[in-house]
Amino acid sequence: MNAAVEPAAIAIAGLNKRFGQLSVLRDLDLTIADREFVCILGPSGSGKSTLLNIISGLEGGYTGTVQLGATRVGYLFQEPRLLPWLTAEKNVDFALDSCAVPQSRRAELKDHYFDLAGLSAFRGFYPHELSGGMRQRVSLVRALCVEPGILLMDEPFGGLDELTARRLRIDLLRIWRESRKTIVFVTHNAYEASYLADRVVVMARGRIRDQIKVTVPRPRDYDDPAVFDVNRDVVRRFLAAADVAEPAVPESDPALNPPGGKP
Amino acid sequence: MGLRLASLAGAFLIWWLLSLAMPANLLPGPWVASVTLAKDFAQGDVLPHLAITLLRVTGGLALAMAIGVPLGILMGINHRAEKVLDIWVMVGLTVPSLCYAIICFILIGLNEAATIVAIGLTAAPSIAINLWEGVKTIDFKLVEMARIFEAGRTRILARVLLPQVMPYIMASVRMGLGIVWKIAVLVELIGRPNGVGFKLFYWYQLADMAQVLAWTLLFTLVMLVIELGILKQIEHRLFGWRPRVGL
Repeated sequence: MNAAVEPAAIAIAGLNKRFGQLSVLRDLDLTIADREFVCILGPSGSGKSTLLNIISGLEGGYTGTVQLGATRVGYLFQEPRLLPWLTAEKNVDFALDSCAVPQSRRAELKDHYFDLAGLSAFRGFYPHELSGGMRQRVSLVRALCVEPGILLMDEPFGGLDELTARRLRIDLLRIWRESRKTIVFVTHNAYEASYLADRVVVMARGRIRDQIKVTVPRPRDYDDPAVFDVNRDVVRRFLAAADVAEPAVPESDPALNPPGGKP
Repeated sequence: MGLRLASLAGAFLIWWLLSLAMPANLLPGPWVASVTLAKDFAQGDVLPHLAITLLRVTGGLALAMAIGVPLGILMGINHRAEKVLDIWVMVGLTVPSLCYAIICFILIGLNEAATIVAIGLTAAPSIAINLWEGVKTIDFKLVEMARIFEAGRTRILARVLLPQVMPYIMASVRMGLGIVWKIAVLVELIGRPNGVGFKLFYWYQLADMAQVLAWTLLFTLVMLVIELGILKQIEHRLFGWRPRVGL
């Protein structure tokens, strides 16, 4: 990436975050290019969700700098987080209202993204009438309709069965090809990362341990052997990164070194 | 609705069977009570008393909600407030409604204000407890979602928090109404010269069981109309989105 040629979508430098005595992110530097699809891969407690929350502005109280090239950020949580008393369409309206998207653009945006997500027939359905995968699709439509410059996704398919998750991954890439947002996608699934990303960033214990460029050409086939090859490489380097023995905290202060890492 | 009607008919049937087993002056049957009530209506004796009781019930319920709802919400969202107030609510719940009535009549006087205050104070703790529990079930992940979509405080309050608390507010109205009815009658009995409670006490002193049952019947009918005709309809409109659960 050449920052001089194209301004970065996200530029993070020297980021440190603590929860009380626990250091969650340490000296983290990360630059993400405009329209890049980055997957952050890490085990539970590696600080990847915290990183996402800081980028989104939900989490404050850190040191270092976080600069965004976009004013609006979309966020897809692990759960759909739909308002249960509103229909799919009204849930999207809620976001459009909140973000003050002009009335004149709303119908077109909704038609476009509901269609893209394959949900045109389900706009009037309540969340409890939809399957888990469809709810997550509604959530994706909601995130896209407010036209964020950056889309943050925190294990959005983690709670779904494998078949549904697979369909959603394929659809996500299809939608991404059309909308071309910058995406930061957090996951602990190496294959998912290999299939989706331009670049896989491996995190462990609050640091970036490794980065792997994925050069498989797009559009990608979910079962392309090339993706499997990338996956093998990613897993190998993921394991290596997780195994790095490290004096996490100065040994002079054992109180700062709780066993087991972040809760 | 059919099942509900059958159930109601069953209650009348039990009443009728019991009345057959007991002397007529001790337990008149549903027919006698209904005819007595109809006669009272025709004499114009019912509506003024019913109206004043309804007024007290409405006023007392409004006061109870005005105290109980904010109190319960505060206790649900603030741990310090919970620690300070939960003992108050417990004590408030334990004090018999008769004590509230007597204290209010002595301190405020034998008037409508005292009546409504006594009713409101008695019902408020139950409403507070209901909302306290309700606020604890709020899904704050939805608030986080709303913040991501740049929603301000007012919008989050009105469109994310209030709809989650609304079922508990509605449940409080229903429960509160049930409590308020019972207290209103009691308060009228000891300190007011009119109202359904006053009439019940009057006929009790004359040991006229047909009249006592007639007024009890009236009371129950009005309650049912409010419950089924108003509250159920509001609930249906507000919570129509909820999935029907079959057991």
